[in-house]
Amino acid sequence: MGSLSSEDDQARFRSVVLPHLAQAYALARWLTGDRADAEDVVQEACLRAFRGIGGFSGVNPRAWLLTIVRHAAYTWLGKNRSGSLLMVDDLEAVERKQASAGALSEQGPETPEAALIAKADAARLESAIAELPVPFRETLVLRDVQGLDYREIAEVTGVPIGTVMSRLARARGRLIARLGTEAPGGVS
Amino acid sequence: MTVSPMDPRLLVHAYVDGELDPAHALEMERQFASDPALAAERDRVEALRRAIREQLPAEAAPASLTRRIESSLGLRREAPRAASHPSWRALAASVVLAVFLASGATWFALRPDQADATADMIVASHVRALMAPQPFDIASSDRHTVKPWFNGRIADAPRVVDLADQGFPLVGGRVDVIGRAPVATLVYRHRQHLISLSAVPGGRTIAATPKEIGGYNLLSWSENGTAYSAVSDLAAPDLETFAKAFRAASAER
Repeated sequence: MGSLSSEDDQARFRSVVLPHLAQAYALARWLTGDRADAEDVVQEACLRAFRGIGGFSGVNPRAWLLTIVRHAAYTWLGKNRSGSLLMVDDLEAVERKQASAGALSEQGPETPEAALIAKADAARLESAIAELPVPFRETLVLRDVQGLDYREIAEVTGVPIGTVMSRLARARGRLIARLGTEAPGGVS
Repeated sequence: MTVSPMDPRLLVHAYVDGELDPAHALEMERQFASDPALAAERDRVEALRRAIREQLPAEAAPASLTRRIESSLGLRREAPRAASHPSWRALAASVVLAVFLASGATWFALRPDQADATADMIVASHVRALMAPQPFDIASSDRHTVKPWFNGRIADAPRVVDLADQGFPLVGGRVDVIGRAPVATLVYRHRQHLISLSAVPGGRTIAATPKEIGGYNLLSWSENGTAYSAVSDLAAPDLETFAKAFRAASAER
């Protein structure tokens, strides 16, 4: 491997990575919660992607890049927001406990009207999503903001499809409960 | 799996996301009819998806970020043209993602239309266009400007009609690559939603009734030997209204 990148690698990077830069940036922004931090994460991810471009299979470049972005974001969160990553382990434990109890009672008795949820504005949605624990947030963002299907989300987040489904259900359940109970425009 | 995959509360999400095979989807529809609480849950999930789609649209990466990455990797700068128009290879890459199938058996069955490469390519072109700084190569609400623009680029310039009176103003046109052939695509707007309408001479009708692919609705029909495919994040009934308006208007000319 030479120290200078080949023309081929450059061309491949351009065709594989750059078309998905907006999505890479969006995922990084939702994970870090900050635009400037997201740029740092995407730059680091692009460096990793560029180094690994020779080994990329050619299948699903978006999922490949988002997987790298997610890893870079997790590294960044570990260094700068270790608290948010600790929650990942806690959540997994809670999820396992709930699964063994056979309970899916995330939503409780709240059954807000669909019309109330439909009225949620951008600011309320943003803050409600930002408050989700990281594993729920990334699953919801990959599906509902970025439009990946379940298989792609499973690939990017490295979990089985069943886990993708349960995380998505919990994420949406929390958002629905939050958006449905809070008065529009109200601050909690 | 952490929970039973057949829990109807989970399947509501798979239903709304278009991840169920037709048999499971039908079974869910039967359950919605007999269980108002489950139907209400479906309505809430759909309302949430719609709110996110309308309120949190895709954001472009800052231009400074692209420059910063190019310079940090020592990439040669390219003319800005490349950024505003997806290259053939970039498009091909996005097509690969649209038809990507993970290996390994799951209890999901693929929807048959997911295998329809043309439908996926048309949806992929629409998505690519939304990600680009402009969803069209030529911006004009004047059909007399748009049609001649195609004449120099495409063998069969499409029929161009403006539907502003019907609530679907023409905003421009672009050339997509479907398979290996350049295809004329008209871009219309309805409220904040964009509709891409591709005209494929000699093509076939790939979605005679609205189909959901990756969160977008696709609807196609044929007229005078040309297959038209409309794709948008509009709700299916609105897309059908658009198709009716287009067919009625083009029949007049």
